Amino acid sequence: MSTENSADESGSGIRSPASSPPFHPFGRRRFLTECGFGLGAMALTDLLGQEGLLANPAKPSFEPPFSDLRARAPHAKPRATAMISLFMHGGPAHMDLTDPKPELQKLDGMEYGGEVAYSFVNRASKRLLGSPWKFSPCGQSGTQISELLPHLQRIADDICLVRSMHTGHNGHEVSIRYFHGGIPAALGRPTLGSWLTYALGSETRDLPSYFVLVDPEGHPVDGVTNWSSGFIPPLFQGSALRAKEPRIPNLVPPPWLAGPLQTRNLAYLDRLNRRHGERHPGEPDLDARIASYELAARMQLSATDALDISQETEATHRLYGLDDPVTREYGTRCLIARRLVERGVRFVQLFLGGQPWDNHTNIREGLPAICRRTDKPAAALVTDLKSRGLLDTTLVHWGGEIGRLPVTEGEGSGCGRDHNGQGFSIWMAGGGVKPGIAFGETDEVGHRAVTDVVTPNDWQATVLHLFGLDHERLVYRHDGVEQRLTAGRPARIVDGILA
Amino acid sequence: MHAGRCPLPIGTFTLLAFGWLGMALQAPAEDAPLSFERDIRPILRAHCFDCHGAGDAFEGNLDLRQVRSMERGGDSGPAIARGDAGASLLVARIRSAEMPPSTLKVTPEELAILERWVAAGAPTTRPEPATIPPGLGITPEEREWWSFRPLVSPPLPAVAHPDLVAQPIDAFLLARLEAGGLSFSPPADRATLIRRASFDLLGLPPTAEEVDAFVADPDPAAYEHLVDRLLASPHYGERWARHWLDAAGYADSAGATQDDPPRPYAWKYRDWVVRALNADLPLDRFLVEQLAGDELVAPPHAQLPAESIERLTATGFLRMAADGTAGGGDAESRNRVVTDTLTIVSSSLLGLTVGCAQCHDHRYDPIPQSDYYALRALFEPALDPAAWRAPNDRLVSLFTDADRARSAEIEAEAVAASQELEAKQATAIAAALEKELLKHPEELREKLGTAARTAEKDRSPEQTQLLKERPSANISPGVLYQYDQAAADELKALGEKIAAIRARKPVEDFLFCLEEPPGHLPVTRIFHRGDSRQPKGEVGPADLQVTGPEGETAIAADNSTLPTSGRRLAWARRLTSGRHPLLGRVIVNRLWMHHFGRGIVGTPADFGRLGERPTHPELLDWMAVELADSGWSLKRFHRMILLSTAWRQASMRRPELDRSDADNRLIGRMPVRRLEAEVVRDRILAAAGTLDPSPFGPAVPVVADDAGEFVVKDSLPRRSLWIEQRRSMPVQFLATFDAPTMQTNCDRRVHATSAGQALLLMNGDFALTQARRMADAALAAAPGQAIPDDTPADAEAQALTPAVILAWRRAYGRSPDPDEAAETIGFLADELTILRGAAAEIAAPAERRARALANLCQQLLASNEFLHVD
Repeated sequence: MSTENSADESGSGIRSPASSPPFHPFGRRRFLTECGFGLGAMALTDLLGQEGLLANPAKPSFEPPFSDLRARAPHAKPRATAMISLFMHGGPAHMDLTDPKPELQKLDGMEYGGEVAYSFVNRASKRLLGSPWKFSPCGQSGTQISELLPHLQRIADDICLVRSMHTGHNGHEVSIRYFHGGIPAALGRPTLGSWLTYALGSETRDLPSYFVLVDPEGHPVDGVTNWSSGFIPPLFQGSALRAKEPRIPNLVPPPWLAGPLQTRNLAYLDRLNRRHGERHPGEPDLDARIASYELAARMQLSATDALDISQETEATHRLYGLDDPVTREYGTRCLIARRLVERGVRFVQLFLGGQPWDNHTNIREGLPAICRRTDKPAAALVTDLKSRGLLDTTLVHWGGEIGRLPVTEGEGSGCGRDHNGQGFSIWMAGGGVKPGIAFGETDEVGHRAVTDVVTPNDWQATVLHLFGLDHERLVYRHDGVEQRLTAGRPARIVDGILA
Repeated sequence: MHAGRCPLPIGTFTLLAFGWLGMALQAPAEDAPLSFERDIRPILRAHCFDCHGAGDAFEGNLDLRQVRSMERGGDSGPAIARGDAGASLLVARIRSAEMPPSTLKVTPEELAILERWVAAGAPTTRPEPATIPPGLGITPEEREWWSFRPLVSPPLPAVAHPDLVAQPIDAFLLARLEAGGLSFSPPADRATLIRRASFDLLGLPPTAEEVDAFVADPDPAAYEHLVDRLLASPHYGERWARHWLDAAGYADSAGATQDDPPRPYAWKYRDWVVRALNADLPLDRFLVEQLAGDELVAPPHAQLPAESIERLTATGFLRMAADGTAGGGDAESRNRVVTDTLTIVSSSLLGLTVGCAQCHDHRYDPIPQSDYYALRALFEPALDPAAWRAPNDRLVSLFTDADRARSAEIEAEAVAASQELEAKQATAIAAALEKELLKHPEELREKLGTAARTAEKDRSPEQTQLLKERPSANISPGVLYQYDQAAADELKALGEKIAAIRARKPVEDFLFCLEEPPGHLPVTRIFHRGDSRQPKGEVGPADLQVTGPEGETAIAADNSTLPTSGRRLAWARRLTSGRHPLLGRVIVNRLWMHHFGRGIVGTPADFGRLGERPTHPELLDWMAVELADSGWSLKRFHRMILLSTAWRQASMRRPELDRSDADNRLIGRMPVRRLEAEVVRDRILAAAGTLDPSPFGPAVPVVADDAGEFVVKDSLPRRSLWIEQRRSMPVQFLATFDAPTMQTNCDRRVHATSAGQALLLMNGDFALTQARRMADAALAAAPGQAIPDDTPADAEAQALTPAVILAWRRAYGRSPDPDEAAETIGFLADELTILRGAAAEIAAPAERRARALANLCQQLLASNEFLHVD
């Protein structure tokens, strides 16, 4: 039995969904092509059907990619309709942030008696490192959170903390791919965001439905494959907003062209196309392209508007920390994420560059630094969504692919902690998860998840469940095989965290 | 199948769109008699045989491969009770969803068939033998699948309107159309035909002059001449190479790892494909050389004559798989190269997803797991994970002995010059030191001089200390000019001379290819569940069993007349025998797909049960035989297609066609198709007049622009085929128009319509720059008078008419009609009015006219007429 399967199957709060026949929303073909990233993913052939723009909306199935972004009903009544994932890859040190271990504090500096699963054996030690930071009970719920995350402390009653995550693999890539694509180490599978937009379509006609907000420091490990649609059509891949302006390529015309000239250009182009269309009546592809220009013109306004955070009040800017150079960049992205979701975008994911949570050395400085950068914006996002009534239907996820070990890596004050995929924390808020709880436990030193173990596949099944989707019925046929996000691996809906 | 009989009644073709639902489509009629072999075995194969049939042992001792073994049953008793579905354990277990234990469940339709069959007494088509060998074997029913049947040429069907049959293929198409009360569309006009033919064969537009000449050509054979002229164009090979490179998974980088290392010599394979197609290398040789070119070249692979170089280059096909073994690789990454290579080979040549059989017998198609490893055994002598060669170690040097001798000669010359340099340098340093010493106190000069002349490692601590205090006495070649400029200059010139000598050395060039080491015959083993760490029984090389009569698909493990095993060569010859059931059908289906936009089989890489059925199976077979029997000439095949009535039809929709065949499966008209990414880009360059048609050579590099988007370096206007295909750096323009980024390979292109494409053409640098170039060229070429600066905007626009006409002709290959011209002049007048109000440098007469015309050009390039071929 592989490590992932070692979760306590009879554990409380976990159940297997009843099996049911496979569900194909539409588009059952396979595609070996994968379009590059960028905004190429905004296809609309059928999206336009809903506006009656097509003379003949029943597009014949002549070419393969008959997929669309029309909003679709899930299998069951959803709790969440949108998701913002703050992906904290690198491995946040849970015993310093979200998972206090009194026993570890007591044993600080002592040799650990148990077995340790290391990544970097040459730097490994068995000397336990008690957290240098203090925890305190927060809010009504009394959830213990570290002083490194003062803003998270204030929203303790809004979040559902899961302390028993387990990938069984200590490596970054192995576990990142597990979280995104459902199989440890398998590169290039469709991501959670792809599956969600594939299954549910889009709630907006003016924007892509799956956005990725990358870090100015660069792409995460594995680069663009973190938002690849894999074998699902490129329509469902993430559209990466660039880390700096212009955030969407080609969105804005050069200044001399903007305004009345471009308006006239598009009007003339429309006349050209309609005249051509008279010679080819009833060709859906031609009509779709006419509409694509209309949509692009709308996007110039809507995307520009969505990305224009100057419309936000000063109070909101302060809430997200935009007035502070330390938090400004991440805060801006969190705020953009809220503005996108507000406009009907289904899935937004934020990445970091350079793995700032990967504190192999000098954790005493590195960890507070990344906390200062992200804690306030992340908490602000939850607070802001809540105050706008959006938190009920928006699932916020904060978490990395692994955690860190309770023992030191390296010596002295510059020591750090090594990777730990055996037990770590994530948190979620809104979208139908139970607020104000801490779910699951790691062992007495925080090495291994021991109670209510949750694997990435369990988490994925649960997220899909919150969206009203059955992870076993959401399938896409590829290479003659019915593919699922959870890939036919053991996956259980974690009942204990559902509101 | 009886040749000439239509296997699908008219009216069922609309279902073909969902052909992968193979099982459901095949559901027998409610009252049709059921048989185990035809109706039940496929269900059990898909769901049950993994545990109850395929292996050496059966779960619960239950063997479901025969009705007799079902009746005998397993640990829980008999699986079926003939005539009583309710009492049959098999039915009960499936109904309760207890079986199969996987998430892939038996569908209610399948269960109903199973129940009906048990209730009918569990009939079989033929008596079952008392014992059968282990494994699933291949049944006669499975061999009857359309793509596995022997390839025979069917007779041409009779048609009511033989006058419409210009080529034999027309007869097959017309017979289907007529059976549905339909017929071909009228022929397209000549202007449409030359555009269509040019894009089809060259991927480039005809010039307006070529269109005019063709339209006006009084010769009744003008069209045949056009087709012949296009087929003789060197751009033909560039266009059709792109199709083949998609199937081959061509890339200029190795992929598989994050750094995606470049493959600096892969372009030689790309060029080989272009040249082979232009030379109309017969398809059998085209394939044999790609699959086994190395086996045709006697080792050692040195001092190679041109023909041998060609043959080795062709095997680049087998090196296209992503390869993460630059550092040698581990077992997993090596194995991945082999499996990806098999995926590329099987999807491009066999039209089957053999990958499924890597772990277990194929659940839908008669491909036992052993067949997968038999195919693998064909390649393992050259791609052997146990004796792996990293990509760099597979490069074949093209250095000849003469090159080596020349190189050594030049090096000797360089060494001699270096010795001269060193001697002169030593003298100059000694002289400089004497001058330097004069700057130091007299009493120190001797000591200092000695210290400086002593080699650094031999200096005493005292000497070292002295030089540390007086570092200027340490004369290095770099400071000589301070003492003797002439000597420094002479030394510098000598240094340059040495570099120039070395630069004359011949550059060592390499081939990116596959080579099988002589006499290397590794044993291929089946991997248990596809896990390379669990090798099991030995398997010898063979083609898929289903492609030939029982026992006749094996390939000799070693050909004693060759230094190599000869396995790939034998297989390649078997594939190109002219009667291989899969290869011929797969190849002509691809050719058809590129000519008509859709294959006769809509899933070009899956001819199995999960793929689509052919719309015109006899036509497919006829063409497969015809291609082989007429000498495997692709150009001859293209000519046949382009001269057909079918291909020359107009593309307008017709109500009577749309009513019964909205998807145009019967080809009652030509489709309107969006141009592929590369063709869109090339057409823009052609319209702008900037296209650099020079062929071949190393890939045009791709770089990230300021914003991090991947673009062609220095915006070089070469054809898109020559642009570097780095897997991790998809060119923004091409990727946005759905060019594939190779993971393995691409069996067919997607043609999406997206707002990203719209934005790219509205605001993107490439479109704006090329539109301006096009406008400048039109203005420069337009005849006409000077326009006074104070001309009103309307008249100014009117005066631009000659340039407008030139712009239209560049974009569309035709002049605007009077309505279009009037509308365009009105548009320009509007734009000029706005531009007159802009900043001075924009409002200046020449500049505003260029900008207004550039805006016109940009809209032409972004229009449907430009992006589609009809």
